[in-house]
Amino acid sequence: MFLATRELKHSKWRFAMIGMILVLISWLVFILSGLGNGLSSLSAATFKNMDAEYVAFEEGARHSMSRSVISENLVQDLKAHEQVEDAAAMGSHVAVVLKEGNEDDSEKIDVSILGIEPGSFLEPSVVEGKPLTQGGDYQVIINDSLKEQGIEVGDTLEIEGVTEILEVIGFVEGESFNHLPSIFISIDEWRSIHFAAPGSDMGVELPVNAIILQGDSIEQDKLESAIEGIEVTTKKEAINGMPGYTAENGTIMMMLGFLLVISAFVIGVFFYVLTLQKTNQFGVMKAIGASNLFLTKAIVSQITLLATISIGIGIILTYGTAAILPAGMPFALDPMLVFSYAIILLFVSVLSSLISVRKITKIDPLQAIGRVE
Amino acid sequence: MSGIQFENVSKYYQDGAGSKLQILDNVSLSVQPGELVAVIGPSGSGKSTFLSIAGALLQASSGEVTINNKNLNQLSPNQVSKLRLDHIGFILQTSNLVPYLNVLDQLLVVKKMKGKITSADKMFAKELLKEVGLGSKLKKFPEQLSGGERQRTAIARAFVNDPDIILADEPTASLDSKRAFEVVELIAKGVKTRNKAAFMVTHDERMLSYCDRVYRMNEGKLELVEG
Repeated sequence: MFLATRELKHSKWRFAMIGMILVLISWLVFILSGLGNGLSSLSAATFKNMDAEYVAFEEGARHSMSRSVISENLVQDLKAHEQVEDAAAMGSHVAVVLKEGNEDDSEKIDVSILGIEPGSFLEPSVVEGKPLTQGGDYQVIINDSLKEQGIEVGDTLEIEGVTEILEVIGFVEGESFNHLPSIFISIDEWRSIHFAAPGSDMGVELPVNAIILQGDSIEQDKLESAIEGIEVTTKKEAINGMPGYTAENGTIMMMLGFLLVISAFVIGVFFYVLTLQKTNQFGVMKAIGASNLFLTKAIVSQITLLATISIGIGIILTYGTAAILPAGMPFALDPMLVFSYAIILLFVSVLSSLISVRKITKIDPLQAIGRVE
Repeated sequence: MSGIQFENVSKYYQDGAGSKLQILDNVSLSVQPGELVAVIGPSGSGKSTFLSIAGALLQASSGEVTINNKNLNQLSPNQVSKLRLDHIGFILQTSNLVPYLNVLDQLLVVKKMKGKITSADKMFAKELLKEVGLGSKLKKFPEQLSGGERQRTAIARAFVNDPDIILADEPTASLDSKRAFEVVELIAKGVKTRNKAAFMVTHDERMLSYCDRVYRMNEGKLELVEG
């Protein structure tokens, strides 16, 4: 630290420039991670929020709700299995709704209507209004982002192409599915909306899309062979099976990956060039007795210090950005995620200093003798 | 025996064709604590190589170098750098100070290489700098100092770890006569009062009056110049 801090102080501008680059890179990394996080919760928040570990689909559905139709009767069979702690049926339906009284087409809203058993572990707790009840007659609890569309408790919603009218009885928070705000309804009423067309249930008795399972010790193979006609996946696989989820996430992860590699090179090369410039200086210090360890510590602590400060500024800027981003933007900063990317950036920076360290160990103190600079 | 001893030290390089390039030819020399010895000679005579071997920066091809009873041939690279830190003080051409350290820190960094800097170390460093006339410039950076002042800082740095031997490589190379005399005088004074074995490589024959003995290096051979 002795050399590191003194040099940082003495060549402020030189280090401020590289620090600035690092600030910008980390800023971008954090924003991207927030965006990725926001998009993935938009895509699958309801799935992610579920207190569940596994999902049972129709065999051959390849982890997709929309491809899967199974019977709700299986819930009892699954519950009876020793590895399953609890099970609840779920169905999803993409719909366009319009607040009753609004005539204008521009006020139509895309939503995901999710059928669940009222009172089951799948029902999120309401932040306003009342929870679902059995036989509630098309009562629904909806995501609070729909308040922006002017919807309040007590309002009624028409569904395009279906005659049923939904009555809003409560709001839930942070629930979206397939990039659309979630509307929760009792599973029986969902069924009459989703399978409104005759024959669309493909002859399945009490059809639902999937059955969500609780149980830490579930063995997928055993469950699949014990109960006919299902495939069991982890919740994570089910989320990855959501339409567009993997593609979105993959794009953002790729950008993040590139950014980390770029930052490693930028920092690594900068310090390497700096080290090359200081070859003679390091040679002199070695001649007067500095060990490789001493000089290595100096450069590693310098990079660590610079990276920590820069990443810290990047974090502050990111939260500043988050504060001014429009509310509708799918942007969600997760402090844990920000922290882990900060650690990764720091690690990458320190790792990149190793090329300079390698150079330092190769400097021969002999060059300090007989040389006029 | 303390100080530094050379016994039949030779240094040669084998070139590609198999012929031997002799740089040092059977050099023997002993410098005792309190002595300042000068080695003069034209450039290319092997002075710098001689100094490099003395400073444990270069290994002799044959012969033995002993610093403070330690035979340099028997040390590992890590031990050698520790030996340089503990027992050798270098004064280099054009001082070679670290550009981003102030005068006081130039000395303290040597202490830091050993471990913690104590307040006693600081006192000692300040005292040394006062002795070389830099008491009022402790917070100056090298770029704010004159050539003579830089070289005086380098002298103080050479003494800060209380080494057994002082090696000076053309310490007056970039200085005018007046400054050169001051610098050599300071080295001589430091060597006497602190009882160090010192040797100085120079081509500046004006400075020899400060030295106890003078050797001339010629084509790798060392001979005593009768005073």
